[in-house]
This record gives sequence, C-alpha cells and structure tokens, in this order.
Amino acid sequence: MPPLRLIAPLGGVALAVALYPGTWGLDALARGQLGPGFWPRMALIGLAGACAAKFVEEWRRARRAGVIAAEAAEPAPIARAKLVAGIVSILLYALLAPWLGFALATAVFVAAFLVLCGMRALPAIVANVVIGTIGLLYLFVKVVYLPLPKGDGPFEALTLVLYRALRLF
Amino acid sequence: MGEIVANLGLGFVNAIQPLNFAMIVLGLAIGIVAGALPGITMLNSIVLVLPFTYLMGIVPALLLMIGVYCGGVFGGSITGILFNIPGDPMNVPTTWEGYRLSRQGRTQYALGLAIMSSAFGGLVSALFLAFLAPPFARFALGFSTVEFFAVVVFGLASVSVLGQSSTAATLISLFAGVFLGTIGTEAQYGVERFTLGVPFLKTGVDFVTVLIGLFAIGEVLEQVVAVGAEAPSERPAARAVPRLPLLDLWPLRWPLLRGTAVGIAVGGLAGAGATVSSFVSYGLEKQISKRPELFGTGHAGGLVASESSVNGSTGGAMIHLLTLGIPGSAATAVMMGAFLIHGIQPGPLLFTRQTEQVYTIIAGMILANVVMIALGFAAALSFALLMRVPAPILNTFIVVFCFLGAYALRNDMADVWLTMLFGVCGFFMRRYDLPIPPMVMGIILGPMAEQYFLTSMVSHDNDLTIFFTRPVSAVVLGLSLLMIAWAALRKTQQRARG
Repeated sequence: MPPLRLIAPLGGVALAVALYPGTWGLDALARGQLGPGFWPRMALIGLAGACAAKFVEEWRRARRAGVIAAEAAEPAPIARAKLVAGIVSILLYALLAPWLGFALATAVFVAAFLVLCGMRALPAIVANVVIGTIGLLYLFVKVVYLPLPKGDGPFEALTLVLYRALRLF
Repeated sequence: MGEIVANLGLGFVNAIQPLNFAMIVLGLAIGIVAGALPGITMLNSIVLVLPFTYLMGIVPALLLMIGVYCGGVFGGSITGILFNIPGDPMNVPTTWEGYRLSRQGRTQYALGLAIMSSAFGGLVSALFLAFLAPPFARFALGFSTVEFFAVVVFGLASVSVLGQSSTAATLISLFAGVFLGTIGTEAQYGVERFTLGVPFLKTGVDFVTVLIGLFAIGEVLEQVVAVGAEAPSERPAARAVPRLPLLDLWPLRWPLLRGTAVGIAVGGLAGAGATVSSFVSYGLEKQISKRPELFGTGHAGGLVASESSVNGSTGGAMIHLLTLGIPGSAATAVMMGAFLIHGIQPGPLLFTRQTEQVYTIIAGMILANVVMIALGFAAALSFALLMRVPAPILNTFIVVFCFLGAYALRNDMADVWLTMLFGVCGFFMRRYDLPIPPMVMGIILGPMAEQYFLTSMVSHDNDLTIFFTRPVSAVVLGLSLLMIAWAALRKTQQRARG
C-alpha cells in the first residue's frame, strides 16, 4: 500500500476540486465586478496546485530512495491507542458539554484525561477533579459571568443544585 | 522641538500624579492578564474597561485604556512562550520561537527577551508619536486600500521564508488557511460561502478557534501520545523565572531596531495593526538572517523582532487617532469612543486646543512601557510558576482552558467544537510536516487581503495595474516578489548542498 504521504496530497486535490463548484453561484450579485467567488476560487486553485506539487515531490522522493526508504521517513512512532483515546476524549468533552453541563463534563474529562496522561494516584485525581472544577466554576461563573453550559434535563437540575451549593447564584 | 520637549515634560508631571499613574498601572495589569488568557483579547479588555471610564476625566480614562492596550499586546506572549498558546493572533510569531526556547530550558531567557523587546518597541514608538506624529500622519493619510493590500501581501509573502518544510507543504497550509478564512457570510455582498447549511458557519470560522486548536490542543495531543511520554516531560520546570537580559539584548540590537521600525511603520497604516506588523517583521527578519534555518527552532532574533514590532505598532496606531481623528486600529477606535464620550474630538486641532491633555497621554504611554517591564516580570513570574505543575495536570487543564477560551469568544459551543477539531488537525499537521504557521497566517491575513483587493478593484474599475502604478504599493509588492524569489533561491541552494 502506498504511504500516506503519497495519498494525502491527492486527497487534497480531490477536496479542492470537490469544493470548487461551490464558488460558481457566488458572483451573481457582482454585476461585472470581481465578486465574492473570486477569492475562494483563487484559494482552491492554489490549494489544488500546491497539493499536486506535493504529490509530485513525494512521488519523486519515493522513486529516488525506493518505497522502503520513503516509508522509513514516516513520523516517529506513537502510542496509537492513546492517540485514539485522547482524540475521542477531547471530542466527547466538547460534544457532550452542552448536554451534561460544563461542571459535570469537565469533572469527567479531567479524571479521564489525567488517567490517560499517566496519573494513577486516586487521591490526586480526585483532588484535581474537585479543586479544578470548583475553581473554574468560581472564576468563570462568579467572577467573569460567563454563561457556561448548564446541561439538559436532569443534568441541568444537577448543575443548578451544584451552583446553589457553591453559592454561585 | 523645544516646545515639544516642554510639553512632554509637562505631560510627565501630569502623568505621575497619583490617580493618573494608578490608572496606568491598573490598565497594564488588566491588559497583561487579559492578553495572556486565550479567548479574551486585548480588544475585549479595552471594551470592557470603557464603561468604567465614564465617570473619569479624559486623561485618567485614556491612560487606563492605554495601559490596557500596551499590556494587552504584550500579555499574549507569556502563555505563548510557556504553553504554546498565543493569547492573541499578534503573539503567534513570538510563540513560534519563544516556545521552542522554552522547550530547550531557556524559558527565563525567552520571557526576559519578550518583556524587554516589547517595552523597547513600545517606548520608541511612543517617542516617535511625541516627536514625529504630524508629518507621518500626513504621509500615511495618502494610503488607500491599494497600499494596504500590498502590505498584507508582504505579510503573506513572508510565508515563503517561514517553513523548514518544502515549499509545496508551506503553500498547502497557506491556501488551506486562506480558504478557511473565506467561510461564512461575505462582507461586501452578504453572500454565504461554504456554510454547507450549518448555521454557526454563517459567522465564519473565528481565527482564534483555529489558533487555540492548532497550537495548544495539537501540542497537548503530541505530548500525550509520544512514546515514552510517561517520563518527565521536556517542560523546563525549575528555572522558569524571567531575568533581565540587558546584556543579551545587545547582540540582538538589529532585530530589535528593525522590529520596532516595522511596528511603527505598519502600525501607522490605519487598519493594518499589530498582527500584520508581527508577521511582517518576523518574515523580514528570517529573510535577512544569515541562519534562516534556525528560525522555528528557538531563534532569539525572531522573537525579539516580532515582539518589538507588536508593541512598536501601538504608537503608530495612536498617530492617526491623535493627529487626524481616524482610529488606526480596532483598539484605538474604542479609545476614540472615550474621547467622544468626554466631548473631545480627536484630530489636528487636538494638539493646539488640548495640548496639555494630549502630551499627558503621550507621556503616559511612555511611562506605561517602562512600568510594563516591572509588571511584565511579575506576571511572567506568576505564570511561570505553572511550569512546576506536573505535565499530566498541566496538559489536562490546558485542554479545559482551551474549551473556556473558545467558548468565551461568542458564548457559543460551536467555537469549542471547531477548536477541538482544529486541535486534532494540528496534531496530524505536525506529524506529517505540514507547517502550522502558514495556515494561521492565511486565515488571519487572507480575509484582510480579500477585502482590500476587492475594494481596490471596485474603486479602480478592475484595473490590476493600479497595484503597480502607485509608488508605495509597487515598492511593497516588489519587495514581496523579491522575498519570494530570495527564499526560493535559498531553498534551491540548500537542496544543492544536500
């Protein structure tokens, strides 16, 4: 299978080509002037051209050095399971916060991410979760008046109970 | 000249009055802290202090805002250097070099350089404002969107010298950034572009979300997944206290002077501002450096040039406000509001009718940059204490602060989603040698370039030659072409050398 370094630039060309038709209808209001489609069109042409140039560059390099050498140029090894867990936890944190509320989502995320980063001592994890979450709530709700997401349904009720208990309201 | 010196002396006497001086210190403190927090920009903090100035006189009100302005443009470099999270887009070039220096265990050196070069840039630009404001303002007033387009292109052209990676990879990143900058409702015609029917995309992709995601989240992911990351991280924990690098600054005097000059010149162009000047000065510095390959690896010259230009732009931006009554940046537009609230119309007559007030404000600006050294060190010291926090805790709470920073932009979860998404992109860009800085430049400078270009075209009947027939524009565009050609030549020579 060809290395990702060869496939990715082609993916970039395909993406630019797929997006290009989106610029066609933008200039209707421009009446003879350069319209709002001009700039994204230039950006997409530039993107496609740069991706094509990158493909040629990588292909030449692979031909020169042989496929094995090209694969050897792949980035340093990483803990793949950790990567997946890290990305999933970050994305879930952002996606679930409106539903769970900032307080609960942050508490769960902090605990999970600390474990992921290698922290194993339960008291330290609990201390970080409790002090971190409450500290942030005080700073951003009480001091900065940031209307952080409170959650939906039962989670909203839970957040409100927490806010009252902490005298944030 | 003698009259100016006398007025400035009187201004200093007024500026050190307890209330006025307290306003400078308070403004600086607010600005530095707000600037250091991602998502709370220097502009936000100036807007936030505006209502508090209603009950003050014009001088303390303006001194408070100037303090916030000077502190705010510097504050973002602290978190940039320590955590790779630039507080504001203008602090991005500082972050490129400062964070690398920090990773090499030279945090105190990087912080010290940032503070001193910021103060130097701000101080020189304030002196420039005091002595040369009127003639410079008359010259800059002749500039139109054609010249502004040329300056922004110069900033974009500096991308050609940024990357250590291939030119193709740099251009992919740049054009992707320019394209991202086009998403949303177009300003001139009100047409939606590439919103894909998603409501939150109508307002566009805020560049701060891209900035926070690519830099901070990407960096956290990189540290978490690195094989052997359980070992103590590379973060230099012990010696993060900044020090006064007075002697260290001497070998960097030319980048410092060049950065300051670029800051004053670009800041003096109404609408260009600190962000453009920081990118332009960084690119210029790399271009003329004898060791350009060291940029991006922790180059002190790059840090000093960008940081001095950021604060150098503050005096430049004030020139238009005080001499012509035209705000040179968003921040000075808010300050103009403060003038008008107090019944004073900034402009040519300000220097003759309110001489004492105007020179007190200028003297306050000079003082602010001196006081900033002390406050900057205090702030850097406080933030640097965070470096002692174990890496797992720091990484976890950096993600949480990114969440809060993105959310605080518009109180919209969509910005948080975009930040996290760009964070994942940032991780893969690092892994596959796709440079991040050009994308950031594309998304920040791309919309500016588009606006100036299309406005120029409308004003000049789609005549492209206008960019080459106006002298300033022709010179700046010529310099941009030279920069690209020079960069290409250097890369070819490097390849030939193997």
